Amino acid sequence: MEETRIGLYVCWCGTNIAKMVDVENVAKEMESMPNVVVSKDYKYMCSDPGQDLIIKDIKEHNLNRVVVSACSPRIHEITFRKALENAGLNPYMFEMANIREHDSWVHTDREEATRKAKTLIAGALNRVRWHESLEKRTVDMNPATLIIGGGIAGISAALEIADSGKKVYLIEKSDKLGGHLLNVDLTYPYMYSAQEMIKPKIDRIENNPDIDVFLNTQIEDLTGYVGNFQTKISKDGAEKELKFGSIIVATGLKAFKPDTIKGYDYTNFPNVITSVEFEAMLKSGKILTKEGKEPKNIFIIHCVGSRNHDYHEYCSRTCCMTALKYSNQIRSALPDSHIYHAYADMRAFGKGCEELYTKTSRKDVIFLMYDQKNDLPKIKKASVKDKCEMLIELNEKLSGESVEVAADMVILMVAMESQDNAKTLGQTVGVSLCGNEFYIEKHPKLDPVATTTDGVYVVGSCQSPKDIPDSVSQARAAAARILAKINYGTVEVEVTTAVVNEELCCGCQTCVSVCPYTAISYDDEKNVSVVNEVLCKGCGTCGSACPTGAIKCRHYTDQQILSQIEGLLSKSLELQEV
Amino acid sequence: MIQRVNPDLKKYLVKYGIQDWNECFHCGNCTAICPLTDQGFLFPRKAIRQVQMGLKTSLASNFDPWLCYYCGECSETCPRDANPGELMMSLRRYLTSVYDWTGFSKLFYTKKIWEFLTIIILFILVIASFVVWFPKEQIANFTTYIGDHSFLKVIEAGDLIMAAVVAFVLISNIFRMWYLTILKPKYKVPFIEYFRGIYVLPGVFASQISFRKCDTDGRLYWVNHLLLMTGYTLMFILVVVFLPKFQVSEVYNWYHWQRLLGYYATFGLLFGLSAMFIGRWRKKSEKFKFSHLSDWLFIIMLFLTTLTGILVHIFRLADMPYATYYLYIIHLAVLVPMICVEVPFSKWSHLAYRPFSIYFYYLKKAALSKQHKSKLAAAA
Repeated sequence: MEETRIGLYVCWCGTNIAKMVDVENVAKEMESMPNVVVSKDYKYMCSDPGQDLIIKDIKEHNLNRVVVSACSPRIHEITFRKALENAGLNPYMFEMANIREHDSWVHTDREEATRKAKTLIAGALNRVRWHESLEKRTVDMNPATLIIGGGIAGISAALEIADSGKKVYLIEKSDKLGGHLLNVDLTYPYMYSAQEMIKPKIDRIENNPDIDVFLNTQIEDLTGYVGNFQTKISKDGAEKELKFGSIIVATGLKAFKPDTIKGYDYTNFPNVITSVEFEAMLKSGKILTKEGKEPKNIFIIHCVGSRNHDYHEYCSRTCCMTALKYSNQIRSALPDSHIYHAYADMRAFGKGCEELYTKTSRKDVIFLMYDQKNDLPKIKKASVKDKCEMLIELNEKLSGESVEVAADMVILMVAMESQDNAKTLGQTVGVSLCGNEFYIEKHPKLDPVATTTDGVYVVGSCQSPKDIPDSVSQARAAAARILAKINYGTVEVEVTTAVVNEELCCGCQTCVSVCPYTAISYDDEKNVSVVNEVLCKGCGTCGSACPTGAIKCRHYTDQQILSQIEGLLSKSLELQEV
Repeated sequence: MIQRVNPDLKKYLVKYGIQDWNECFHCGNCTAICPLTDQGFLFPRKAIRQVQMGLKTSLASNFDPWLCYYCGECSETCPRDANPGELMMSLRRYLTSVYDWTGFSKLFYTKKIWEFLTIIILFILVIASFVVWFPKEQIANFTTYIGDHSFLKVIEAGDLIMAAVVAFVLISNIFRMWYLTILKPKYKVPFIEYFRGIYVLPGVFASQISFRKCDTDGRLYWVNHLLLMTGYTLMFILVVVFLPKFQVSEVYNWYHWQRLLGYYATFGLLFGLSAMFIGRWRKKSEKFKFSHLSDWLFIIMLFLTTLTGILVHIFRLADMPYATYYLYIIHLAVLVPMICVEVPFSKWSHLAYRPFSIYFYYLKKAALSKQHKSKLAAAA
């Protein structure tokens, strides 16, 4: 066996590490550790000169192992592995010691922190000597895509992918495509007709041979991994198996039910309606009360179910502008009506939205500010002498006055909620939910389309409340990501998988029952467990459960882990003695 | 108390000159820039809000517009061009009609024709009464008859009757203002404060001291207004209270106190009026950008009164009895409607409401501070 030659690099991370850890002292002292050939400290190891330093040393000193003690491996392990690859070393001959998140950031005693850094590095040095070369594996990418949800997001993504000649399976749980947009009249802020936008798109979907639409369909189970998913769906009584390489979840939203808000008494007042009902009224072309009369006073309440700890903390993002759109439509239809808004903050952030607000505010619309957190308006039945059907009482914030407002129709701007089956579908496709039961994206800023499951993307309002342009952008972004992968042709799969030593395996099948990815099956003939390496995520559950030690997890072998612990402990003891 | 939001009120307020209420989105810049904004007195934003929401009761109890001297800073700073300064001006007109129980003010502001009609009727009445009653043989020696005891007695009686009627209306309206701004909103003013605060009245009236805070264009406007106000008040006192000493048959030397005072008052009136006329004509300064008809009427009536007064004086010195006589009639025919219409029911009433608003402001603050202290004591 060749001699182990380790290069150790201690990062300052500017002042992030250097202010709490004596990095120069660490690099100097650790140079004397067994097999360490070079030991250096540097301001930013992740920078290009930092990486070049490693590459140069590997070549000059003929290094075959590298330890970088810096930040979390979640941030820069990939960076350094690439550097090793560039220098001609196997990228897995690398280990990181986290002396930032685990050390400098969480301690206040510089001496202790320096000692801890040495201990952590000793562990890494001890571990890296047992590292083995691992080869990357790739599998073919299935060019078909499954899109769950036939709303504007799903439709946009489907057309984008199918337009490049790739197969799309579009699944919709209702009996028609179009989603919520089917019930929308005009859209803010430019008053484009929703039907004129969605209908041609649906036609294009129906006429595109690359798109298979499955209406009245839901998916119940899903197997596979990025590039090679499969599911069974039932269509017209017959089961059909679909195979695809990527998944777009575009299941959208549902409207908040305001029955639970006491002061609004939605169930008792016939003319207290939700924004969904009012939109339908606009689409039908007539604004009428339940008694069939034109309302004189129309009162619009914002943030119904949004931004309130009793319902949803989040902002539903579209209701303010929809309410302004209503004002414009009401003003055109009923020029002499009185329009009131009870709002919390007017949120007009989108393109053209502030302009819509300004335009609307000049149409003699009364904006009344209320406290949507603690002090909701109350809707009461009016008496005969009030000459209106309802009276709304509220404490108006901008004037500081308690006021009442006459109303013949009240529109509740209801919140957007996630779908009832969001959780079960999320479990099926491997996407988790955030606290508000919307799907979690991989990174809220840098990767708002992908999820932590490779090959699964979330778009539209199932990820968070969104308006049409945002949903469409996200859908098309996901399509671009998928097309790039299809174009590449293959996908890399996890190499740090489990392997079964058939000689040691007793066939107890404990591993089969614990595997969360159903990656382990049982070979009846040989009486041993078999790991499907493309399904295995290398989580290590089987390895720790195996009673005979027959399962080894690559890159996380017992020897590697025990050596690391041994290194940690011996260094810590040694430093204590001093 | 719960008030009904009334979207139609602002449409009615348009008659008083209100405009651009829709533009305000309550950023509060106007209140921040206002040199008179005081703790808890949020003007002018608060008044705009009351207009937008149509809160009639709140508006009636709001005397903030009287505290404002229209420096125009708010309108210049407003990011939405909502003209808060002009809104305060319009509210002063509106509040004048709210305080006035006779209803004439409302009639004159909202239906212009009635104001003109009243002025013309009074004009004709004065001339007619001269034609009927004045002894024709005295016209030829009117330059001395003007100070005759029997003539003066009649004029003085008319003067005093007019002053009494005007004062009665104005004082009763001030009581209504007190009722609407202090009593009705239930500010519990400690009784002693009514006496403690009374000192502010003559002080602010004579010096126009609060005006100076608002004089952002330099002192000139304050000087103008002070000259106009003192000139007017002086002349008013001279002709109403001291008429027998002012309007005499004998022509005194130019340095006699009676003539010197008269000249000062005339100068003050002319100077102040010209400055206002030029300002409103050129519309350069923010406070003169928008002129309601009542603003013009006020300037023109006062100017005509002053001019005819000067001419009477000149013709008399030149010993021209006929010219003096006819000008004297015209002088009175303009003066009577100006006082009867403008003082209690229109723009001139501000000379009473402004000082009283400062007095009521003092009372309101005293009430709020007492309420605050008792709250603190209760909490302790």
